[in-house]
This record gives sequence, C-alpha cells and structure tokens, in this order.
Amino acid sequence: MKLASFLSLVLITGFLFVAINKLHPVGAPLGNPDVLKDRSSAATDIINVNTMDDYYLRNSQTETGSNNVVSSIVFDYRGFDTLGEATVLFLVVTSISMLLSLLYKREDVDDYEFRKPNEFPGDVSRIISYGSYLLYPLIITFGVYLVIHGHLSPGGGFQGGAVMASGTALLLVSALITRHVHRTRRIFSFFESLGLTIFISMGFAGIGTTFLYNFLANGSSTLFGRAIPFGPNPGFLNSGGVLPVLSFAIGVEVFFGLSIILVTLFHVARHRKDME
Amino acid sequence: MISSVLFIILSAVIILTAMLSLYFRDLLASIVSYAVMSLVLTVVYFHLDAPDVAIAEAGIGAALTISIFVLTIKLTRRREE
Repeated sequence: MKLASFLSLVLITGFLFVAINKLHPVGAPLGNPDVLKDRSSAATDIINVNTMDDYYLRNSQTETGSNNVVSSIVFDYRGFDTLGEATVLFLVVTSISMLLSLLYKREDVDDYEFRKPNEFPGDVSRIISYGSYLLYPLIITFGVYLVIHGHLSPGGGFQGGAVMASGTALLLVSALITRHVHRTRRIFSFFESLGLTIFISMGFAGIGTTFLYNFLANGSSTLFGRAIPFGPNPGFLNSGGVLPVLSFAIGVEVFFGLSIILVTLFHVARHRKDME
Repeated sequence: MISSVLFIILSAVIILTAMLSLYFRDLLASIVSYAVMSLVLTVVYFHLDAPDVAIAEAGIGAALTISIFVLTIKLTRRREE
C-alpha cells in the first residue's frame, strides 16, 4: 500500500513536471501572436485566427459588447455551462437545507434576539463583534460592485455573490445573526429561485436564434446595447447585451443560496449548543 | 528576477501550508493552515494575470469554505482521533 502511494506520487509529479515544459508564456495567446496587433480589419475576419482563444480575443468585444473577455465566454459563448453550474448550486442548496432542517425545530430558533455589538454575547469577543459590524457594509458594497461591473472588469456573478455571502458568514461567526434572518429565510429562498428563473427566462428570450442568444448586444443603448470599440478602453456600463442581466441573476442566486446553507448550518450548531 | 524569486517563495509556502493542513491533529489549526494556503494562492493567481480566479479563490476558498468548516467543527469534535 505504501509502495503504491509512493509510486502514484512519483508518477503524478513526473507528469506535472513534463506538463510545465509544454506551457506557453503567461498571458500570451496560444496561436497567432499578431492577432491583437492588426486592429484595422473587420470583426468577422476569422481566416487569420488559428485557435479558439485567438477568436475570443479578436471578436468578443465587438460581438458581445463586453470588455471582460472571460465574462463574455462564461455568460455568452459558454452560457449553457453556466446554466448547468447554477442548477448544480441550486440542487446542492436545496438538498443541504432539506437534510439539515430535520435537525432542529423552527420554534426553538425563533427565540434568538438581535444583538448589538455592545451587548456582546459570552462566546464572542468585542473586537470580533465590532469588526464585523464595521466590515459588513464594505463587503456587501464590494460584492455589488463586482456583480454590476461583471462585464467590464474582473469579477462577475459567481465572484460577487460569493463575496457577499462571505459577509453573511462574517455575521454568523460573530453571532450577530438573529431571528430576523431566520424569518427572512423564506425570502432568501424566494430570491434564490428568482435568480435562476431570470437566467432561464433570459435564455428563452433569445430563443428566436438560439437558447441564451445575446439578442440585446449592439442594439438600443438604453437596454445594455451600446457598442464598444475594439482594443483597450474603459467600456460603458450600458454595454454587453444580456451579460449584465445574466451576471446579476447569477449573483443573486449565489448570494442567497450560499447564505441559506450558512444560516441553516448556524441554526443547527446553535440548537446543539442549547441542547447541551 | 525579484518577481520570479517571490513566485518560488509563494509556491513553497503553498506546498508547506497544504502539507501542514494534512499534518495537524487539531482540526481548527488545520483549517487555519488551509486558509493561509488559499490566501497565498490568491496572490499567485493575481501574479499569473488571472484576477477573476483570484477573486473567486479569495471569496470561496479563504472565506466561505473556512466559515463552513468552522461551523461544522462546532457541530462535531475539534480533535481528530
């Protein structure tokens, strides 16, 4: 058994070292390096393009109106993958909250009172309470910024939702969470379903061409349809077509879904502690 | 030159903290070691021009997973047997 694990370790390490030699330099396109230099020809010039990442770097700005190429791949070219991931997350949240809610009674957790940081409970120090009280709005603001600017700067629905959910985790760890949150658990699950529903209905809205077709891009500028030039530029908030809408939907779903998991786990822990 | 030296140091810290998180018998110490690994991995991702992945790693790896683990430790035992 020890020999087998040693051999597998050596084998995997060897494969990784072989793979290092095959990597191309960080940030360089794999195929034609001149693809970004020639900005004069039209966007549909696919003949010079050798690989898929050349195509994305060349055409994603003019086709989707999004400055963030990663976001245009995640929500536009590979939007169906993102729908699958969102569905997986939805199912995970549903099954976890269903299983864990068997472990505590709803009446028992309704008694928890809201705690201000100066009425600090015994098991949390005052530094943690005050710190999380101060940090929470900043974290939420940063998460909302990531979601809204998902098509312009690094970030997007998943990242922004996870950052906002870490704000919820901070509240839970510092024991500031309350029956307010428990009562709003139904609202949490409503918004989680709403995010997934917005995503799927935006997919069906473009069904005239294909499912999840970016029908708003390069259209009317009031509906995220503003066209952006090729090359480095700061971009516009009302560009990107359906990308900002999908990013918002995913952000809402991830934030409320992960918050449901955290709140349910916290209530089970709290209930166990009260039972002892 | 400086950045490549820094890169090697950060990679070594990642490997070290990953091994430490397996080595500790105290599960809370193991989780803290895992959090340090995620944090350093975030810096490495940013260094490799992948800010999207860096934000995801910082949000999910360093914050959410850790708090879920801490809550799970509250539900179970702290020490591995």
